[in-house]
Amino acid sequence: MTTPAAHDSLIRRGTVLTVIGLLLLALVYVQAIWFTPLERWQGQAHKILYIHAPVAYMTLSAFMLAGLASAAYLFLRDRRLDTFAEASSELGLVFGAAMLTTGPLWAKPIWGAWWQWEPRLTLTLLLVLLFVGYRALRNAIDDPDERARYSAVVGIMALAMVPFVHLSVYLFRTIHPQPVLLKPSRPEMPIEMLRTLLFSIAVFTFLYIGLVTLRYAIGRRRIAASS
Amino acid sequence: MTFWRAVLVIAGKDVQVELAGKTALATAVTFAALVLVIFNFARDPAEVTLATLAPSVLWVTSAFAGVVALNRSFAMERHRGAIDGLLLAPVSRSAIFGGKYLANLAFVLVVNAVILPLFILFFNVDLTPALGWVALALGLAAAGYVAIGTVLAAMTVRTRFAELMLPVLLLGFLVPPVLVGVQATTRLLAGRPPGEIVGWFRFLALYDVVFITLGFLLFPATMDE
Amino acid sequence: MNGPPENAPYMIAAYIVAAVIVVGYALALIRRGRRGDTDG
Repeated sequence: MTTPAAHDSLIRRGTVLTVIGLLLLALVYVQAIWFTPLERWQGQAHKILYIHAPVAYMTLSAFMLAGLASAAYLFLRDRRLDTFAEASSELGLVFGAAMLTTGPLWAKPIWGAWWQWEPRLTLTLLLVLLFVGYRALRNAIDDPDERARYSAVVGIMALAMVPFVHLSVYLFRTIHPQPVLLKPSRPEMPIEMLRTLLFSIAVFTFLYIGLVTLRYAIGRRRIAASS
Repeated sequence: MTFWRAVLVIAGKDVQVELAGKTALATAVTFAALVLVIFNFARDPAEVTLATLAPSVLWVTSAFAGVVALNRSFAMERHRGAIDGLLLAPVSRSAIFGGKYLANLAFVLVVNAVILPLFILFFNVDLTPALGWVALALGLAAAGYVAIGTVLAAMTVRTRFAELMLPVLLLGFLVPPVLVGVQATTRLLAGRPPGEIVGWFRFLALYDVVFITLGFLLFPATMDE
Repeated sequence: MNGPPENAPYMIAAYIVAAVIVVGYALALIRRGRRGDTDG
C-alpha cells in the first residue's frame, strides 16, 4: 500500500509535467500563429489544423488507453488499472470537447460545412458519446469493485465498437459525395508546416502524460483517503 | 442442468412472466405507434416526401422501442430481489445470459413485428418482396443490440437512475447498425436488387457475431462475485 | 485570381476555445492536487 507521501510526490510530479506542458503549448501557439507560413488557398483558418489534429489524436488515444486499461482490470484485478482508466477517460472527454469545438470551426471555412460524416470525426464523436455513458455509469455506482468491473465491461464493448463505426461510416461515405469548397491540402506539406504540426503533436502528447499522471495520482489519493 | 436446457428454462420463465402481465410489450408497442404517428405529422408535406423519411423513421422507431422493451429486462429481478435466487440456482452465468438474451430478443422481435405493419400502413409502402429483406435487416440488427442491451441492463438495474442509464449507454452502440439498416432499407424500398445490399447484411451479421459472443463472455462479470 | 479568403476569425475562435478548455482543465486539476481534497 502506497503511503500518503508517495501519493503527494506523484501529484507533484504530475503538476510539474503539466505546467511544463502548458508552457510548451504556449510555444506551439506562438509558432503556429507567427512562425508558420500561410497555406496558399485556405487562409488563416487552415492553421486550426495545428490544434485540431493533435487534439483529435489525443482524444482517440486517451479513450483507447482507458478502454484497454479497464479491460486489463478484468484479467489482472489490479485496482490501479481502473484508476488509470478513470483518469484517461476524463482526459478523453476534455480533449474530445476541444476537438468537437475546433473541428467545426475548421470545417466551415475550409469545407463549407460545419460537419462532415467522415470516418475520423464520426468515430471520435461516437467514442465521446460512449465514454460519456461510461462516466455516467461510474458516477452512479458506489461500490469500487463493482464500479471497476462494470467499467471494464463497458470499456471492452466500447473498444469493440471502433471497427464497426469505422466500417459503417466507410460504407456510408462511398455512396455520398462530399461537399467540397476548398480541398484541404494533404499530399505534400511544406517542411515549415510539418514541423509545426509535429511539434504540436509532441507537446499535446507530453501534456496528456502530465495530466494523466496528475489525475491518476489524485484518484489514488482519493482511494487511500476513503479506505 | 445442461447449458442449453438452463437457457431455455430461463428464457421460458421470462416469457411466461411477460405474457402474464404484458406491461412491457404494451408499453413498447404503444410507444412505437405514437412515434410513427408523430413523425408523420412532424414533417412539412411539401418539403419532405414520405418516401424520403420512411426508412429513418422505421429504424428510429424500432431502435427506441427496442430500448424501451429492454428496460424491463432485469426490472423484475431488481424489484423482488430475485437476482440472488437466480444466482443460487445451479446454472452458469452464461446460461443466465443466454436465457435473458433470448427472452429479450423475443420481445423486441414481437414489437418490431407490430411496428412493421403499422409502418407500411402509415407510410403507404408498397407490398413488395423487398419488405421481407427489410424485416430481416430489422431482425439482424436487433439480434446484435439486444445482446449489448442485456449486458448493459444487468448493470444499470443496480444503479440509481436505471431507466435513464440504459438508453444513455445503449445509444452509442445503436448508431452503426441503425445507420447501416437505414441505408439498406432505403435501397430496398427504392427497388434495388437484394444482391446490391449484401455488404450491409454482412455488416449486421458480423456485428451480431461479435456482440453476442462478447455478451456471453462479459455477462458473468456483471454478476456479483 | 483572388487571394486566400479572410477567415481569421475562425482561427482566433478555435485557438481561444481550445486554450480555454485545455488550460482551464489543467489549472483546475492542479488546484485539486494542491488543495489535498479527497472528494473526486
